[in-house]
Amino acid sequence: MRVLGVVFLSLAVAVGTASARPSADPGVSSNEIVIGGTVPLSGIAASYASVGRGAEAYFKYVNGRGGVNGRKITYKYVDDQYNPSQTVQATRELVQQERVFAVFNSLGTEHNLAVRSFLNAAKVPQLFVGSGATTFGRDYRRYPNTIGFLPSYVGEGKVYARHILKTRPTAKIAVLYQNDDYGKDLLSGFKAGLGAKRRNIVSEQSYDPLSTDVASQVARLKASGAKVLMVIATPPFVIRGLVAANRLGWRPQIYVNQVGGATNIMRIVAATAGARIIQSAVTLISVKDPTSPRFRKDKGMALYRTIMKRYLPRGDANDGFHTYSMAVAYTFEQALRKAGRNPTRASLLRAVANLDIKSNPFLLPGVRIKTSATDHFPLDQGQLQRWSNNQWHPLGKVVSAKP
Amino acid sequence: MADVLQQVVSGIASGGVYALLALALVLIYRSTGVVNFAQGEMAMFSTFICWELLDRGVPYWVAFFLTLAISFVGGVLIERLVIHVVSRAQALTVVTVTIGLLILLNGAAAWIWKGEQRTLENPFPSRTFDVGGVVIAAQDIGIIAVSLAVVAVLWVFFQKTRVGLAARAAALNPESSRLHGVRVSWMLALGWGLAAVLGAVAGILVAPTQGSFDQNFMLPILIFAFAAAVLGGLDSPIGAVVGGVAVGIALNLIGTYIDFFSDLRLPAALLLILLILLLRPNGLFGRQIARRV
Amino acid sequence: MTALRYALRAAGLALFVAVVVYVPFRISDFRSSEFALIGIYFIAILGLNILTGYTGAISLGHGAFMAIGAYTTAILVADHGMRDLWTIAIAGLVAAAAGTAFGLPALRLSGPYLALATFGIAVATPIVIKKFDGFTGGSGGINLFEAEGITGLPEFVVTLPGGHQLSFNDWLYYLTWTIALVLFVVAWGIHHSRLGRSLRAIRDNELAAAASGVWLASHKTLAFTLSAFYAGVAGALLAISAFSVQPGAFPVERSIALVVGLAVGGLGSLAPLVAGAAFLVFLPQWAQDISKAPGVPSVIYGVVLILLMMVLPMGVGGLLRRIGSPLTSRLYRRS
Repeated sequence: MRVLGVVFLSLAVAVGTASARPSADPGVSSNEIVIGGTVPLSGIAASYASVGRGAEAYFKYVNGRGGVNGRKITYKYVDDQYNPSQTVQATRELVQQERVFAVFNSLGTEHNLAVRSFLNAAKVPQLFVGSGATTFGRDYRRYPNTIGFLPSYVGEGKVYARHILKTRPTAKIAVLYQNDDYGKDLLSGFKAGLGAKRRNIVSEQSYDPLSTDVASQVARLKASGAKVLMVIATPPFVIRGLVAANRLGWRPQIYVNQVGGATNIMRIVAATAGARIIQSAVTLISVKDPTSPRFRKDKGMALYRTIMKRYLPRGDANDGFHTYSMAVAYTFEQALRKAGRNPTRASLLRAVANLDIKSNPFLLPGVRIKTSATDHFPLDQGQLQRWSNNQWHPLGKVVSAKP
Repeated sequence: MADVLQQVVSGIASGGVYALLALALVLIYRSTGVVNFAQGEMAMFSTFICWELLDRGVPYWVAFFLTLAISFVGGVLIERLVIHVVSRAQALTVVTVTIGLLILLNGAAAWIWKGEQRTLENPFPSRTFDVGGVVIAAQDIGIIAVSLAVVAVLWVFFQKTRVGLAARAAALNPESSRLHGVRVSWMLALGWGLAAVLGAVAGILVAPTQGSFDQNFMLPILIFAFAAAVLGGLDSPIGAVVGGVAVGIALNLIGTYIDFFSDLRLPAALLLILLILLLRPNGLFGRQIARRV
Repeated sequence: MTALRYALRAAGLALFVAVVVYVPFRISDFRSSEFALIGIYFIAILGLNILTGYTGAISLGHGAFMAIGAYTTAILVADHGMRDLWTIAIAGLVAAAAGTAFGLPALRLSGPYLALATFGIAVATPIVIKKFDGFTGGSGGINLFEAEGITGLPEFVVTLPGGHQLSFNDWLYYLTWTIALVLFVVAWGIHHSRLGRSLRAIRDNELAAAASGVWLASHKTLAFTLSAFYAGVAGALLAISAFSVQPGAFPVERSIALVVGLAVGGLGSLAPLVAGAAFLVFLPQWAQDISKAPGVPSVIYGVVLILLMMVLPMGVGGLLRRIGSPLTSRLYRRS
């Protein structure tokens, strides 16, 4: 019966490194490193599939140049339909069947929470989680195998709050947010950043991701008389919210969160609702904007376009999720290089907690990836942007988005 | 007061769209006795066809009517090639086939149009009217006008034309219609074709109000269209229209004026419909079917 | 029924048990967890079959009863320190109570109205769960991996009385399939009981059944209750298998999947429903193995499902009945 072998392996995992085991960790061979992760490839969140495909394209590029220390990186990303119980099953397959070295770039807050305990018990690194929930960076003592990537939602909320305090300290504020952990996390950071001025928030309206429109919520927000509108929403609802505001003839100062503020989304708003509604809107960005003329001659973005053309020809190069995912993949590659000639899970985790990358080619100039034994927020900087002439333009210097 | 009216107005606007799709569901239910889960995805696919035509430079109204024609053919084909084959099977089998169609059409659209957000031209003026503090968009008036016009055309078709009469007869009593020389099975296909056209109208009208659309934009709308059709009575076209508008208004008012329900709009509206159904098991306008041994 | 038929039935059941016991010896540890998932779907589909097979009413809301079962288990284990094993029956009972509460009024509705009313329940479920976050943990749900009460976690090894050790996945497999076999025999028993005959009478002709003294409402409600019990048990097992619950684990797609599984397995069949459960677990994977291009797996899934329904309108069970009808008695004469 194979059970005995399984028991032995499981015990080895449970007892940890003390027991006898092969010299290399699972997923590492002389010429290959296998990692995996979950991404929604089908269902209502399928547009996030770019986050898997872009990273895969980057690894193909790395492999084309000889890989890392002679090993090519195989990235198995599997569909979880954005259903956390499927995330568990798919991650279990990656760990127990595919024997991956590390879980990487899995997407979604609830989805990563669902497998965090499992991965930590099995001592599998859970790297660069695709969620800004603060817990992934904050709770590293309890979950030493887990590290986030996105700037934390709380930190992002604080950046907007600080900008409002500086520029419009007395303005009445309305908030439209998605009714889940992501929306509530960002809203709590926004309120914390406002401090005593949180009284300026005169109306908060939430929407469920299953709604067809948010016209009703926006009508209520407008009725509150607010002059500032903070939009904490995913792309389709940013568009619907702003289109609804425009139809009601409401023109507040817009703040839109990073998740929903990509240039292609804002251009859709401008095309349907007119440019006036988003004139001088503000957002926070950490990743280079693939549509921006600023980066037309940028070396990093030239590389991005080359990789897209060669390894992902059917993909949309203007989709910022692709840029984001290459920034994550680049960071992983750097960590792997630091993990030694024969990387183990332990050496990879040490490398991940000791990063200092000053020029990730896909991140904004000046945005630095830095981690330490006590700092598990790799990407905690960004730059505010202001919308004009159908384009985001930098607004001030790179700022900290620490939670 | 203006606030309440504003909520009602925006509810009527979204309700008009639910009504169109609900009407399509009712048409298919009346002609073939099938609850069509693929109705929303058929509408989504039509919307993409219209987008493709416009993208290739076809003038708006040409593209509009061309899409309706293509959708009609598509609806007829789906009935002839798929639904007809399983039409004698139990209800569960037919429902499952429409679920298969839903998944298939959604995937096909994601494959062909790459799952990106697209924008569709708005056929109506983008201006708004301010009536005593209540903002009404020309687009919303346009959607409601088109919905009403479609209902009127359908009514005339079914009540006043020979084909319409034959179609109704085929749905009500296929055996005796057949004896009277009605080609029953083609009449059922006609129902699917017309439903596809209605769906196309709904999709083309609603896509611009949302700013953008992708292959998933019809799924939530289908949920409300189901609610509308059930509320009005699955076999009643008038019921579908009233149901659609009622659902639109109810969603807004429940969420806005009962604080506990502000993030429970959808469940609250569905609960309300369930309660109404308990009083009227065949919906507001549906016919009670006599049970016979 | 002749003695020969009983012998055939018993032999069939023994074969079923033997296969279930043997399977983990032939597959990898991970696959055991996958086959456990098939068992979970099998239980839920058996339950749906009691409702739809007997009353003809299609429920598109059984995912909601699974959610009730899953959350019952999760809350009892995480907040009340209960052992997972004991919560499974409770989860079934709580779901059954919900089934009765919903079934009593809902069965006033005729076929398509009931289908769409239950569809509404399925849509509303995740939103309602999120609303009561003090109780349910909100959208992040409840993590059970570190809870005391889950057998075999976090070590991933289960030590049986007597010292024999099993991996968590094998344990999950045997737990699920033991329960599935018991519930399968119960479903079979129902079918051959007075209750089963009354229910079939209702399905075939409501008025005639009522005229011959069958009390419609109570029987239909009972079918709903039993059916929800099965779904609740399946939900509890799903919570243990995924060592967590979230509202996002119970989208409307889950309810729809159960209906698809029932149609593929064959309405009114019992053992062939396993095929429906296996379809739900494996077809999406096969589709993805063929291509991961955007939308293509869905196209494959949709095409296969439609073709299957066109070729086998009565599902796998219908096919087996047609092949085997001279040998065994048909489960239903009218189907």
